[in-house]
Amino acid sequence: MNVLVRALSAFAWRWLDKVDVPLLLGLGAIMGLSLVVQASAGGDADAVLKQAARFAIGLGALLMLSRVAPSTLRQWTPLAYLASLVLLGLVFAVGTGRSANLWIDLKVFYLQPGELLKLSVPMMVAWFLHQAVLPPRWRTLGITAAIIGLPVGLTILQPDFGTGLLVGASGVFAVFLAGIAWWRIGLFAGLGLAALPVGWQFLMPYQRDRILTFLDPESDPLGTGWNIIQSKIAIGSGGATGKGWGQGTQAHLDFLPEHTTDFVFSVYSEEFGWFGVLVLLALYFVVVARSLWLASQARDTYGRLLAGALALTFSVYVIVNAGMVAGFLPVVGVPMPLLSYGGTSAVSLLAGFGMVMAAGAHRRTWGG
Amino acid sequence: MKRRRARPVRNAAAEGEQFRRRALLAALGVASALVALALGYGRLQIQQHEEYATRSEENRIRLDPIVPARGLVYDRNGVLLADNAPAYRLDIVPERVEDMPQLLAALRERVALSEDELRRFDNARKGSRRFKPIPLKLRLSEEEIARLAVDRHRFPGVEVVPYLTRRYPFGELTAHIVGYVGRIDQDDVDALEARGESRFAALPHIGKTGLERYYEARLRGDVGYQEVETNVENRPLRVLRRHDAKPGADLHLSIDIALQRAMVEAFEGKHGAAIAIDPKTGEILAMVSLPSYDPNLFVGGISFNDYRRLNEDVARPLFNRNVLGGFPPGSTLKPFMALAGLDEGLITPETTVFSSGAYRLPGQAREYRDWRPGGHGTINLRESLAQSVNTYYFDLAMKLGIDRISADFDRMGFGKPTGIDLTGEAAGVLPSRAWKQRRFKQPWFPGETVIAGIGQGYWVVTPLQLAQGTAMLAGDGQLRRPHLVRATQAGFGAPRLPEPQPAPLPVVDDPAHLAAVREGLVATMHGPTGSGARAAAGAHYLMAGKTGTAQRVSRQGTERLDPNKLPYHLRHQALFVGYAPAEAPTIALALVVEHGGSGSLAAAPVARRIFDAWIGPPPVAPAPPPSASASASASAEVIPAPAPAAEEPRG
Repeated sequence: MNVLVRALSAFAWRWLDKVDVPLLLGLGAIMGLSLVVQASAGGDADAVLKQAARFAIGLGALLMLSRVAPSTLRQWTPLAYLASLVLLGLVFAVGTGRSANLWIDLKVFYLQPGELLKLSVPMMVAWFLHQAVLPPRWRTLGITAAIIGLPVGLTILQPDFGTGLLVGASGVFAVFLAGIAWWRIGLFAGLGLAALPVGWQFLMPYQRDRILTFLDPESDPLGTGWNIIQSKIAIGSGGATGKGWGQGTQAHLDFLPEHTTDFVFSVYSEEFGWFGVLVLLALYFVVVARSLWLASQARDTYGRLLAGALALTFSVYVIVNAGMVAGFLPVVGVPMPLLSYGGTSAVSLLAGFGMVMAAGAHRRTWGG
Repeated sequence: MKRRRARPVRNAAAEGEQFRRRALLAALGVASALVALALGYGRLQIQQHEEYATRSEENRIRLDPIVPARGLVYDRNGVLLADNAPAYRLDIVPERVEDMPQLLAALRERVALSEDELRRFDNARKGSRRFKPIPLKLRLSEEEIARLAVDRHRFPGVEVVPYLTRRYPFGELTAHIVGYVGRIDQDDVDALEARGESRFAALPHIGKTGLERYYEARLRGDVGYQEVETNVENRPLRVLRRHDAKPGADLHLSIDIALQRAMVEAFEGKHGAAIAIDPKTGEILAMVSLPSYDPNLFVGGISFNDYRRLNEDVARPLFNRNVLGGFPPGSTLKPFMALAGLDEGLITPETTVFSSGAYRLPGQAREYRDWRPGGHGTINLRESLAQSVNTYYFDLAMKLGIDRISADFDRMGFGKPTGIDLTGEAAGVLPSRAWKQRRFKQPWFPGETVIAGIGQGYWVVTPLQLAQGTAMLAGDGQLRRPHLVRATQAGFGAPRLPEPQPAPLPVVDDPAHLAAVREGLVATMHGPTGSGARAAAGAHYLMAGKTGTAQRVSRQGTERLDPNKLPYHLRHQALFVGYAPAEAPTIALALVVEHGGSGSLAAAPVARRIFDAWIGPPPVAPAPPPSASASASASAEVIPAPAPAAEEPRG
């Protein structure tokens, strides 16, 4: 018996030695809550099992990537970036999807290149900045802008505004963490503001509708406005302590659309109340903060920037989704990370945390 | 730090430090954003909890779309051509169904379900949210409704829903004008979403072809909504608030359904196309493309077999020849050539040309022939039209040259869409140097100008373009946009708003030129030598016209070929353009009879029957000449009593 335990623990140590336990606990807690909410919102054991299966695949990816040394990952980075760009281009040629062609049919499963970009773009930016002189100056920033801009532009053309936003954010965060001067940040922010009216011209009609509806939800009570109104009712009626698991009427009476995917946080807020919200937001913060700490422990610039960018992008998911379902922000198709129902995003997120753990684990003491 | 550019040295420690500062800052940023979110949620969940709790309690309220009644379509005398009929359909809400295969099997025992319907339902399910009702079967019979009502409680998620379906009382007769609506498919939904019009996906139908498609935005009206209080099972209890739907606008067409019917009968079963236009306004009085099809088949979703039958028919019943078809105009182009020659000052009505039976370009061996062996002798403008003398127009074409031909026929509306209120109109081909260079990357040859003069060679025209041009000859020499909708009306009692039309474009420089051409066209029908004289014999009114034969294959080398043995699509087409009564035209006509042989034998008699139907029998006593309104009331007797639904209030 003792032998078996020892063998098992030896095996576990061999394979789990790069895994960061606090981060894993934080992620595990969120995934656990996800299954609980999905069981209530979807009301379908099958869906809960599918979600659990995705988590299992994602954790497998996490485990594997945590064992890849950042220096090895760095060597493969340009190839990964190019490959994901090629796949993104393929989507335009052979993509499928209902309102936008976001998917490639691989017969076995559907591949969404946008999800790959969420990893490969911060990887590529980190790869480039790793060799550059920091803090970055104009030349460096120009090339970085191209590395980020090309995939973001293509993604928005698809059109998938939510993914474009997240991919862009991941690259920008890497630049921020690389120590770009504050006055340059100010300049870019000013330029961005000035470009807003121009950008408006390029938005799809449905995106304009969403922004206009955000400003006045009652103007479109049958469309997007309905979602926001019903979502706010769900959240507000939850109160401090919530209606209890499985008791949220909004989702169960079909008032809340997309209540297993983009609007799952409203269901959670309705059933578990403000205290539930505090717990979940705290868990998200733990994940982000621990990831940033791991990033700062990384041996080289590449690992640091990649891990840091992934951590901050994760926080953007949380802030944008929580803000959107409560009507604080316009509706963009961004899911609540790990809580929403859906495959590719859970897997790519967990894979990202595998890279974060690798960056934190292969630190100076390891043959540095 | 003076010369940083010189060769900057990386400082790993400083970079790490820089990162930690930025990471800490970012963590603080994330923390404050999360705190702000927590406070925002607190405001919703604690401060405003009462309000939202009440709204949630009241939220047994569902927002249902209200579907507007689609606009009706009338002919020029108020006869209904497209109408809404109440019907019931079977909807299923997938989310509330536990075992779909079992439910479908149970429903099959009570309702006739075809494979097409089941397949369509499966497709619709894939693209739809689970809580949205999806139609399984349209147009339930009364018996089926009764059978479902008996054990409705056993089928949660199954609803029998009243709706308005579309009906075309005249079926085949108006198919190529009114078109049809069909069920909204995924492509339509995507297109509506892209235009920010997703609320219209709640409609049962969308215009697919014809006027139903062209005027879709006005026919469909606007979707309303109502707040419905529901019980726990989501069944409506009462309506709380209602934002009414805006019904679609009715269309009043210029079509005269009696003339439309007479036109079909005039073809006596042959295939072809015809358009009649009021030369004073450009209004289309009748337009047929034969064979036709029954648009009612498409309304509820056409069955796979029916569609294949229509689509694979070599006679192409779904193809509107008037707007989409094209053919070489042959001799029907001659009046327009004559007008161009007069306007350019190259000929006068007295100009004569000697026809020897064969025309040669200087220095070339090739002969361009007249249809009469040995030729027609010395011919003036009038006789050139009446006898359809090719040599006259070979000569005229060479005088004009291809550039003036291109420019003048462009002004007469050839080679471009006329702008009729139907989608997908073909432009045809107006031969020009630029067109040939673009199409074949070759220069223009003089021989091509010669045959262009008699409507052969590269020419492709649509019946619609010929009709528009003929209306110009019959009227005041101005080009008017041919159109089907005269007026729209917002509802039964509302005022009729005339549909605005673009200003007519003047084409003819001198009314005398028009008169000269018209004299030739009357001589064609009533002169001793006229090619249409046999068809016009015995009429109590004067008509004007020109016959033509469109050759699909060159006559060279195939002279002994029996035209009836040619492949179907290569057979000759008989053409006619004309108008009546000649002195004050009320109708201009262009028609084509497919594989009919010559224009004078096959097409002119059809035209005569159409003119007779429009103008009516001779007045018995001394009476005013027949006018449009008189003939309209006379022809109204042919029409069956208007469908009873015409009087029913809609909505």
